[in-house]
Amino acid sequence: MVEPVNSSLGKMLFEEVSPVVMVLCTPLVEETFLKNGLSLVETLKPFCNFSNIDVPVRTSGDQLYRLKKFTLRLFYASDIRQPNVEVAKQRLEHVITQAGEKDFQDLKSDPPQITDILSNSGSEIAPTWFQYYNKELIRTLSFSDHEAFDHPVACLLVVSSKDEEPISKFVALFNTGRLPSLLNDGAMDPKILKHYLLVHDNQDATTERTSKVLSEMRSTFGNNECNLLCTNSSKEGDVEHQANPWASFKSSVSADKLGCALTGDDIVEIKDLMQEFASRHIIPYMEQKVRELNQQISATRKGLRNQIKNLWWRKGKDDVPDSTKGSMYTFSSTESQIRILGDYAFMLHDYELALSSYRLISTDYKLDKAWKHYAGVQEMMGLAYFISDQSKKEAEYCMENAFSTYMKLGKSGFQNATRCGLWWAEMLKARDQYKEAASVYFRICGEEPLHAAVMLEQASYCFVLTKPPMLHKYGFHLVLSGDHYKNCDQVNHAIRTYRSAISVYQSTTWSLIKDHVYFHIGQWYAIVGMHDVAVRNMLKVLDCGYQSKATQEIFLRDFFNIVKKTGMKHEVVGLQLPVINMSSLQVIYEDHRTYASQTSALVDESIWQSLEDDIIPSLNSGKSNWLELQSKLLPKKYRESNVCVAGESVKVDLEFRNPLLISTSITSVSLICELTANTDDLKLDKEPSSLSLGPESSSDHNQGTASGFYSFTLSEVDFTLGGGEKKLVRLEVTPSEEGILKIVGVRWELSDSIVGVHYFQSVLVKAKTNKGRRKNKLTPTDALKFLVIKSLPRLEGSIDHLPEKLYAGDLRYLVLELTNKSESPIKNLKMKISHPRFVNLGNQEEELPTEFPDCLMKGHEQKIVQHETNRTSSVFAFPKGVSLQGDRSLRWPLWLRAAIPGTMSLYFTIYYEMENVSSIMKYRTLRMQYNLKVLPSLETSFEITPSPSRLQEFSYCFQIQQLSTVGCRWGISLLQPVDTILPSKSLLAGQALSCFFMIKDCKKSGTEEEKTMSLPASQTDVKLFTQDDNEKLFDIVNSPLASFHESERSCQGASDQVNPNTVDFILISRLANSSNPSAVPDSSIFLSHHSCHNSIRSSSPLSWTLDGPQTIYHNFSSSLCEIKLKMIIRNTSDGLASVSIITIDSLPDAAGPTPPTVNQSGWRYVPSVTEEMKLTSDVMGSRLGKPPSSMESSPPFIWSGLSSTKVQIQPLSTTDFPLQISVFSPGIYNLASYKLNWELSEHEKASSSGTCQGYPYYITVLQSE
Amino acid sequence: MIVCVAVVGHQNNPLYIQSFTEADDALKLHHIVHCSLDVIDERVNNPKKSGTTLNEAFLGLLYPTLNYKVYGYLTNTKVKFIMVTTDLDVRDTDVRSFFRKFHAAYVDAVSNPFHVPGKKITSRTFADSVSNIVRSYTFN
Repeated sequence: MVEPVNSSLGKMLFEEVSPVVMVLCTPLVEETFLKNGLSLVETLKPFCNFSNIDVPVRTSGDQLYRLKKFTLRLFYASDIRQPNVEVAKQRLEHVITQAGEKDFQDLKSDPPQITDILSNSGSEIAPTWFQYYNKELIRTLSFSDHEAFDHPVACLLVVSSKDEEPISKFVALFNTGRLPSLLNDGAMDPKILKHYLLVHDNQDATTERTSKVLSEMRSTFGNNECNLLCTNSSKEGDVEHQANPWASFKSSVSADKLGCALTGDDIVEIKDLMQEFASRHIIPYMEQKVRELNQQISATRKGLRNQIKNLWWRKGKDDVPDSTKGSMYTFSSTESQIRILGDYAFMLHDYELALSSYRLISTDYKLDKAWKHYAGVQEMMGLAYFISDQSKKEAEYCMENAFSTYMKLGKSGFQNATRCGLWWAEMLKARDQYKEAASVYFRICGEEPLHAAVMLEQASYCFVLTKPPMLHKYGFHLVLSGDHYKNCDQVNHAIRTYRSAISVYQSTTWSLIKDHVYFHIGQWYAIVGMHDVAVRNMLKVLDCGYQSKATQEIFLRDFFNIVKKTGMKHEVVGLQLPVINMSSLQVIYEDHRTYASQTSALVDESIWQSLEDDIIPSLNSGKSNWLELQSKLLPKKYRESNVCVAGESVKVDLEFRNPLLISTSITSVSLICELTANTDDLKLDKEPSSLSLGPESSSDHNQGTASGFYSFTLSEVDFTLGGGEKKLVRLEVTPSEEGILKIVGVRWELSDSIVGVHYFQSVLVKAKTNKGRRKNKLTPTDALKFLVIKSLPRLEGSIDHLPEKLYAGDLRYLVLELTNKSESPIKNLKMKISHPRFVNLGNQEEELPTEFPDCLMKGHEQKIVQHETNRTSSVFAFPKGVSLQGDRSLRWPLWLRAAIPGTMSLYFTIYYEMENVSSIMKYRTLRMQYNLKVLPSLETSFEITPSPSRLQEFSYCFQIQQLSTVGCRWGISLLQPVDTILPSKSLLAGQALSCFFMIKDCKKSGTEEEKTMSLPASQTDVKLFTQDDNEKLFDIVNSPLASFHESERSCQGASDQVNPNTVDFILISRLANSSNPSAVPDSSIFLSHHSCHNSIRSSSPLSWTLDGPQTIYHNFSSSLCEIKLKMIIRNTSDGLASVSIITIDSLPDAAGPTPPTVNQSGWRYVPSVTEEMKLTSDVMGSRLGKPPSSMESSPPFIWSGLSSTKVQIQPLSTTDFPLQISVFSPGIYNLASYKLNWELSEHEKASSSGTCQGYPYYITVLQSE
Repeated sequence: MIVCVAVVGHQNNPLYIQSFTEADDALKLHHIVHCSLDVIDERVNNPKKSGTTLNEAFLGLLYPTLNYKVYGYLTNTKVKFIMVTTDLDVRDTDVRSFFRKFHAAYVDAVSNPFHVPGKKITSRTFADSVSNIVRSYTFN
């Protein structure tokens, strides 16, 4: 804590509460001094402050004390009046404006940091002009009628020696008519000390006249009261003062002009004059006056008697109207006298006396309800308490009292309250009670915005100085103050306060406040024309997604307006709009791995690697590993960087997000890259500052001006982001020369007005195509660094018209088109397909002779080509002769068949080698990926059941167009005509259809060599579609159906060689084109369904047949008819079967195939044989027979011979077995009344057994003629 | 009427701030809440002034502005609750019970396993319960 005397308030009091000297002078005097650019008062002013005057003073007491510091205030008589309020206001405003202009240059700098503010000592925080402003503010209240310290103590009459009749001039100057009204109307004592000064201008006055006038003066006014001042000793008027004493008082004129005609001697003379004036005249005079008044007052007011008298007297004056009506206390009234005593004592630094006087008077004023006077006295008491370092409490109480009293007076008292408040606040500050000081400042804000702004700002600085600092309040008051400044058009000040406020808010998350501050400061900077700073501040509010849409629109609109005003495209590092999602950054580049499409590049590297495993080492096995090869060739420095090929683009995927609700357009999005030549050392990273603002600096990167830069091309992307939208953008850079390519960042233009730049450096990048081996070593920046090697041929491939969606079994003819754009040829093409079941390559480079699907039909020359070689490896090597060059493209037929339903990804990888192997890369691979969605279509199931009545015929069920058995072993034929199976010729969705076919083993027993060509083709194919008769059957022997079948076989069956008795079916169907109008009516969609390894499924391992005559003529009149039959039993199983045949003569039970009664109607009804019917047909004839009446008594036939026989049948062999029946009457007989009990023992395993019922076998016995 | 309630984290970061006025004075209320943090800091750092309420969470009237009264409450985890009301005649007991309910709602909100401590409270349930509590309190 500083001494009260040395505190700023103490200094202020020395200056403000000091004796006033009224100056009266003639115009010629002024003229003399104006030669120096100064008026008389201004000339004298610097010499009125005496820091060590050392005058002994004795006031009321007997003790002498020495006055050290003393100040005089000089005023022209015309200025001794209460200043006009309006003028004062204008002056204050001028002070503020001036201060604002002075600060203007500072505004460009960065806002102060909070730590800087806190580390500053108290006086440095607040701008210095506050002192000046406060002084000016206090000065507006000078010469008030209720205070005495502004009363002139002395009068200085100045006349020039050039004046005519100087003596009468002196008299005329102190003419009452020209004196200030305050002296005349009795508020001030007109009887004051007079001092006479004669000014002699050395430049144009003669000394003779001057000395004559002086002696005349001395004789008239007295020797002591007269002085001579010689000035302007320098004839040329070009004196320069080292430390110009006037400079600090008058700043408007350039300082070196001031006092140019005054020599050092002149100045010394002025100094001496003033010192003498103060010490010899003013101080003794005041001393005298104080003693005088003190005596007078002691006589009238001190002592108990006087007090009581005074009280009584005051009581009687109650009805007197109070001070509001004019001044009720003239200078001569006792109250005024006491006040003068107090003020004089105060000015003479006798604070004890001053206090006692003030105390005395304050009760009087209180009793008189002269509130203004009372408050004034209280104010002085408080100051006296403070400066004499007495009771703090008393001082504060007095100030508070004075302040509230002034406030009570309403508007008229407010100005005084302000002054009181300022003093009070200073007082509190001197005692480190900053918080209280701030609240005082806050209380004197008043309504006038400019005044309030200054006070609020002062309050805010107080909050910083409190311990601990109250930064929140600091910020708040600054913001309030800034708003007030803005309302008064003091934009500079508004910016200054907001700038300071930023330091409070910038690191917080109070976004609403933050946005407000940044936005407004931006606007204001724009007002003062500092657009670049404005933009910089505005940038902070762009990421304002939490604000309302209207606010966002305002922010953006103003931002773009300001940006437009700057007139150039600024480049902003770290522009918040749009937000870049760095985790989405993905680099896609091609080294030896090339990609046919975007999607294929995104496929997991491991899939490709596993696919390529077969191809790559197989070629390089002889040499060293390609990886080693590459690392040998590459300089070690670059080994870790990625490799890309000149002329081929490196792609970067980046996600942009719009945080706002408003859609914004983003244009010219491109990468920032550096390409340095190989030989050069890697350029040092230029670390761009986090937020740099400048015109187009990043284009330096892209233009490549420095040596060692080479050209490359960048892609530009334009897009619009809706509110809250995210977009993944693909950016490309294509280097055209060898070297080191570095992707530094990305730049974009926001709404065509501002360029945003984002540098990637500090970000983790997942370079998609990195191999795991490298990834470990890579730093993020390395991932964006590429070694550009010489341009290489690059194979481009595509499969035309590959459908995305197709039905299971769909068979397509496609063309794989490979192009090599470059001139250098490539060779040794190889291809591998991930799903050989789905795709089959055609066998040669040829266009299809006929259109699909006719090419599949039979009738073309049958080439049974065995290209099953090496099919399982699924690597397809193109013929050696195939090499690509230039723009030539290679078209290769390709068959696609959707084998199974579901979603599939087909991966194709094509390996090729470069012919001129001067490059690091010897080979490259082309990777293609296609997604297929296979919808389920026909569900086929084949069930082969052994035909019970035929030895090697089986029936099964299935669906449409053509059914073929594969191979030549099995013949197939329809059981029913096509039309009856499939009257509508199509299967509707969800419809199930069963067809029955018959297949026949065409193999001659055990003769494998007869297999081929043993059957005509028609017997292996059945056409199920009869509409178009001339349509040919599909050729299933030839590629591609055959090859697909081959892969199906391997897929469906695990052990296809185990059972030779299996049959494979291919069902070919056509998609009905009318079922769905929205579907593409493509009549050429053919579906093939392969079902392999179907074997005969039945419950019994036996098949048998009864062999015997169909029709027998017999004369029953002679004897019964005996018919010999033969049963051929085949053991279809693998084990040894023992079969016993049991014939049943009696009518079988309900389960038996023969009906219990002959009367039963049905197909078994045997009509009586008539002549006509016999002739109709063979079939009908077979039904002829005896009327059923003959069968009533006895069974129509009996089994004769053995009734039960057991035979052993070897696996897969047949056995004959004789049977015999006896028939008693003509008729048609069903010989089903037998059963076969079989027992199977399979290779010592648990044997199985079962029973087979006989099946109908009809025999017709007719009466022979 | 309560015009604003706020939850402020121990680093003076706003966790939740909601005003209940029709007028567009969110900024003003933010400022008031932000300012009152200084007063809370002061109260907490100089406990001697309120020796009797040493262990109490309720901090009482922080400061009166022209139109508002600001009350504060400090939890054991140094999370501050601030309430701004336009009612000039408020009994401390009412405010205390208000803060107790508010505190309970806050505890519920941060007990949510999906809440990240130190991040803004985005729970709608919390917002609803707070506005219910606010609506149930009119101090006059």
